[in-house]
Amino acid sequence: MAGLSLQSVKKRFGETEVIGGVDLDVADGEFVVFVGPSGCGKSTLLRMIAGLERTSDGRILIGGRDVTDEDPAKRGIAMVFQTYALYPHMTVATNMGFPLEMTRRPKEEIDRKVAEAAKILHLEAYLGRKPRELSGGQRQRVAIGRAIVRQPGVFLFDEPLSNLDAELRVQMRIEIARLHQELGTTMIYVTHDQIEAMTLAGRIVVLRAGRIEQVGAPLELYEDPDNSFVAGFIGSPRMNFVPATVTAVEDGRAVVAAPEAGLTGMAVTTRGQPPKLGTSVSLGIRPEHFVPAKGAAGTLSGKISLVERLGGVTYGHVLLASGSMITVESREADRFEIGKTEIFGLQRAYLFGADGIRL
Amino acid sequence: MRRTFGQSLSLYGGVLVIALAIGLPFWWVLTGSIKLPKEIIQRVPTMVPHSFTLQHFEKLLQASDFPIYLFNSMVVALFSTAFTVLLALPAAYAFFRMEFPGRNALYKTILLAYAFPGVVVLIPLYGLFAKVGLIDSPVALVIVNVAFALPFSIWMMRSFLATVPREIEEAAIVDGAPTTTILVRILMPLIAPGIASVAIFAFISSWTEFLFASVLIVSDVRRTIPVGFAGIIGQYQIDWGLLLAGATAAIIPVVALFALVGRWFVAGLTDGAVK
Repeated sequence: MAGLSLQSVKKRFGETEVIGGVDLDVADGEFVVFVGPSGCGKSTLLRMIAGLERTSDGRILIGGRDVTDEDPAKRGIAMVFQTYALYPHMTVATNMGFPLEMTRRPKEEIDRKVAEAAKILHLEAYLGRKPRELSGGQRQRVAIGRAIVRQPGVFLFDEPLSNLDAELRVQMRIEIARLHQELGTTMIYVTHDQIEAMTLAGRIVVLRAGRIEQVGAPLELYEDPDNSFVAGFIGSPRMNFVPATVTAVEDGRAVVAAPEAGLTGMAVTTRGQPPKLGTSVSLGIRPEHFVPAKGAAGTLSGKISLVERLGGVTYGHVLLASGSMITVESREADRFEIGKTEIFGLQRAYLFGADGIRL
Repeated sequence: MRRTFGQSLSLYGGVLVIALAIGLPFWWVLTGSIKLPKEIIQRVPTMVPHSFTLQHFEKLLQASDFPIYLFNSMVVALFSTAFTVLLALPAAYAFFRMEFPGRNALYKTILLAYAFPGVVVLIPLYGLFAKVGLIDSPVALVIVNVAFALPFSIWMMRSFLATVPREIEEAAIVDGAPTTTILVRILMPLIAPGIASVAIFAFISSWTEFLFASVLIVSDVRRTIPVGFAGIIGQYQIDWGLLLAGATAAIIPVVALFALVGRWFVAGLTDGAVK
């Protein structure tokens, strides 16, 4: 087992900088998830940790050892690829034993470790099969098994569940969480699926354009986002943003208004000093934070243009008079009526500056 | 999209013309080899043999040097094929995966080998082989055949390597496999159809090579089939039956090779690897 430390790690492809100075410390045994939209550099960063991508600048330490220029095989990592990357002409047992074979371990040891890993992953019955004779979930388990037998210091997962169907994804997600509990090994997991991130991670690293936007526990990011990007990325459906103006400062709180959207004077707590009067801000409201209008701290009014009923929850898509669309969540299936103009109460909201930084 | 009758007619008509153009000469050679001499040279040719005889094959095996030519051709072709495959595979991998200065330029340059007709390099090559004492040696033919088959083989092999998903190689790298192991244990089994294609290409190129075999080999006992058989065509007389029987017998090793490596041409070798 080993911790991981990234120190001012950079990656350039020619003139283009895809990872721009990332600093991160991962404790031994931690489960850290990299999330971000496609092209944010999360997979590149993972491949740099694996050694499959050369680091242009900075240092990577695994278990306190500088591995920046080390071969992938000597870094004490194991990687599970999005596409499984199994050796199609080898049996499950040979696939799983391959890394041990490469380090010239005795056959009995290989057999024993493969059997152990197969037991953990419920693959005992499939050891003699070829990958093409397995289902997607089983293939991914073999790929995980191949990683387990190496007993690595750090497990790297590169979107391991994106090729699976929804049901299997949930199942495998639980299995990976169980595996982490059982093995207690450091795991770095890349995904663009924020549900995977929220459910698996001890800490989430939100990346955008090769830089870390925020690092924190899942609920910390949800409750206390540093900027509108993180606020919009964590939480589903995403946070609503309504342009507003600061009209007053009361008891150290900013009072904002968006008359066009039907919002008159709502006091919002800010992190630091409230912004000056007249400042243009963005009011962030999560779809699940709308309340009945009566007695609410503020209100928004708009016309319901679309309703999505998912059974447990219902989403109303509301067109505000200002032209922006917001999503409102309700537990009642018949809460929304298309075409009706309604007033929605606000209880909790976040304020973001013009640059997206949380105020 | 459904084809109209006219389209179908022209499509199948076209297929028929091509099939006949390829098949008829074969049919002519195969049937001719079992016809009596007088039927072969009959003024009105017969498509279906009216006579049957094995006398040409008897003569071929007992009274001609064919068995020697066959043996020589076999030796030259098998060695040429083996060396072509053994050299093309690592070369293609190097061009495909390894990074070195001038890789792309070199990759394009190797095909320049085909810019020169064989005749142009024949005299200088003869001089070179004479200097190192390889005239009249099958080694010279193997060298020439490999040299001419290699550039295209490398191109072919590289495109087969490109069909193997990158992640499989990366997984092997993470697993600690050295380059040679990746090539031999991971890539080779996955590009078996490519290796088979290159082998067939190299074998047939060598099997049918005439120009260099006719110049670099001097003594009759070292001749290969194409050159040895050219001797049957005399100045005043051609033994058609013998020639056709020889041509038929010469096809057999090629057919055998196809049958042997045909089972490698299995689609979907990488199934289950990455999806």
